[in-house]
Amino acid sequence: MNYDLVVCGVGGQGVLTIAAVIDRAIHEAGLYLKQSEVHGMAQRGGAVSAFVRISDQPVASDLIAEGTASMVLSVEPMEALRYTNLLRPDGCIVSDITPMENVAVYPKHDALYQVLFSAPRVVAINGTRLALKAGSIKVQNVVVLGAAASFLPLPPELLEAQLALLFAPKGERIVKANLNAFRIGDAASRFSAALSAAGVAPQVIARVVSQIAFEPQPVPVSSVAAWSQRLLCEDAPTLAQSLFDADKAIAPDAVPA
Amino acid sequence: MSEVILLGDEAVARGAIDAGISCAYAYPGTPSTEIYQTIEDYAKEQGLAVRGMWSSNEKVALEEGVGVSYAGRRALVSMKHVGLNVAADPFMNAAVSGAHGGLVLAVADDPSMHSSQNEQDSRYFADFAMVPCLEPADQQQCYDFTREAFDLSEKFQVPVLLRLVTRLAHSRSKVTLGERRAPNDARYVDDPTRFILLPGNARRAYANLVEKQKALQEYSEAHPVNALTLREGKRAGILVSGLAWNYLQEALGESINDYNLLRIGCYPLPVKKIRQLLDASSEVWIIEEGYPFIERYVSALGLMRERPIRGKLTGDLPRMGELSQDAIKRSFGLPVSVGLEIPGMADVLVGRPPVLCDKCPHSDAYIAINEVIAEFAPNTRVMGDIGCYTLGAMAPYKGIHACLCMGASIGMAIGASHAGMTPSLCVIGDGTFTHSGMPPLLDAARDNSNIKVFILDNSIVAMTGGQPTMATDEEVVDLVAGLGVPREHIRIVVPSPHKKAHTVATLREELSYTGLSVIIARRACVNYAKEIKDIKEARQLKREIKVVAA
Repeated sequence: MNYDLVVCGVGGQGVLTIAAVIDRAIHEAGLYLKQSEVHGMAQRGGAVSAFVRISDQPVASDLIAEGTASMVLSVEPMEALRYTNLLRPDGCIVSDITPMENVAVYPKHDALYQVLFSAPRVVAINGTRLALKAGSIKVQNVVVLGAAASFLPLPPELLEAQLALLFAPKGERIVKANLNAFRIGDAASRFSAALSAAGVAPQVIARVVSQIAFEPQPVPVSSVAAWSQRLLCEDAPTLAQSLFDADKAIAPDAVPA
Repeated sequence: MSEVILLGDEAVARGAIDAGISCAYAYPGTPSTEIYQTIEDYAKEQGLAVRGMWSSNEKVALEEGVGVSYAGRRALVSMKHVGLNVAADPFMNAAVSGAHGGLVLAVADDPSMHSSQNEQDSRYFADFAMVPCLEPADQQQCYDFTREAFDLSEKFQVPVLLRLVTRLAHSRSKVTLGERRAPNDARYVDDPTRFILLPGNARRAYANLVEKQKALQEYSEAHPVNALTLREGKRAGILVSGLAWNYLQEALGESINDYNLLRIGCYPLPVKKIRQLLDASSEVWIIEEGYPFIERYVSALGLMRERPIRGKLTGDLPRMGELSQDAIKRSFGLPVSVGLEIPGMADVLVGRPPVLCDKCPHSDAYIAINEVIAEFAPNTRVMGDIGCYTLGAMAPYKGIHACLCMGASIGMAIGASHAGMTPSLCVIGDGTFTHSGMPPLLDAARDNSNIKVFILDNSIVAMTGGQPTMATDEEVVDLVAGLGVPREHIRIVVPSPHKKAHTVATLREELSYTGLSVIIARRACVNYAKEIKDIKEARQLKREIKVVAA
């Protein structure tokens, strides 16, 4: 078993923290890992990435070969596109949709989302909104980790346990916010997967999922069914676009008529 | 025996602690910073008697390490590759005088220049100084080789260089730790003349170093990491060193068994094994991370006609930048996978270089400087230096027009003023000022050079993650005055939007004056408020303890 992923975002977004949690979980799972990351100058608001390589055999290279990563896990939508040369053509992108606009000319959001959402396998979430729901804007990175969890070859309980350990020194409230964030992200991701399995178009899923205010538990089966049915209608793309443009949170069970 | 996940830098630190170091010294620099950081944190956590500090600069750090070694104890000194340029004087000479207690210098090179101004290869320095070099390929070797380096240093009484590269220093994997060796007791050599490098003694010491080369060569020849595998029949061979081994394994997979193979991780080069590899092979690939150091030797700069040698000099591998499994695959004509391509991607993906943080005091300093020089001499050049404020070179500030090496700004400004540039300005941070900015300021003071020196005092070494600076606030003023800058031309400004009028007025006054001015832009880094407070409190406490002790 070999599973490579790129964790990325912007300096200060907690990219290396996500990588650290995954590392510890890999170690606990009795698997091998190599994880390389960028420190120093790039961390001043520049593009930051960590390569995480998981295997049941010792891992040689510290770098991921082109076209071989199974996942890009990004805390920022434009950064999600920076490493696609490393991603397998059938690889998965899990990304926050909140732009970090600290560059002179950030691309137009619509154009960026259009490209990102047209990736064959993408889970898009509104990390900032979900983080606030989880209890702190600081756990935005952990929402994205949660959204990636169901794809990783690691038991989610291990990731949760490592999160709890890592944040234990910061107190119970912070631990709770992180666990909430992780579960909310996971709920969003599983909901996204269910819509995909039902045959809903990727662009529609991405736009709808990134507007739903998930709870730290799975979306009830009845709601999933209702959403699937609604999003298989002919006007689904228009509906998805209007929900997305409205930029207002939708409750998981508030299926539009 | 315990297993932990460690960064390469952390593995070096733990290796040094388990080798029984008494002391450690360093100057922060990516990708080496985490070595000393880990030693400091771990020693504190475990209550170990390991002394050390973030030294003023790399030269001082190494000299402190040499002092420990002369006193018979073990010391680890760590720095980034360009730091060894600063420490080159003690390094070359400590090789001649020799070590006593184990002296290991861990140097982290930065191929691809992720956070550096060049990609110089420290193996040249080890070769130049005629000391052994160990080059780990993974985190376990970082730990094991660091331990070994101390034994090696004591066995042959030479400093040992441990060469790391970014992808090793900043990559994690599992490391199995051993038992901790007890530190040495202090003990002095019987004949101190060994350490007095007066010409008469130095000739003797140098002869001694030359004499050691044979034994070092034999050590390297017998080292298990320098493993030679020859196969039946004449076939192509590969000589691979350090981290490049990781990439080679993935690039070639099973077909690596079709080649004769020599792995190198210990220097001086095992020439007998290289001879055997050449004799058994139809051609030899040389794959190494960094400069084509081995290739230049083996190919005699490409003059050797006996066997084709393929590598970076011949264009078979990229001459610059980091290697990767894909770079090696391409060289061997092997297919490389193609990643996901999304139509329209190029239109929505722009570069994201590092930038000054929001509300960074340096931005306000540059805004004020730019405003004033626009009035005085819009075409003048501002000499920059190394730190976060180097990012002021980028838009929108474009505030500096040169950046060479640590501490260079003031000397460059002096030279430019002598060449007729007026006003001649330079910008240097508090950390870089105490690293190597004081001697050039002394020059300027003695010369009364017509330069304007901006010391951006943010109370911390920020770029590398918040290490303590040697002087801040009034300490900087006292240093500057002590170097001979007249107090009336040492001006303090607060770089903030709120105090901009005062800053600009002060700069105008000083730019109207012909002679040396030092303008200290004093405001703490926005990122490390807590660290700055802790450092200041700890420093105050130290002063108080000293008073009580006196």
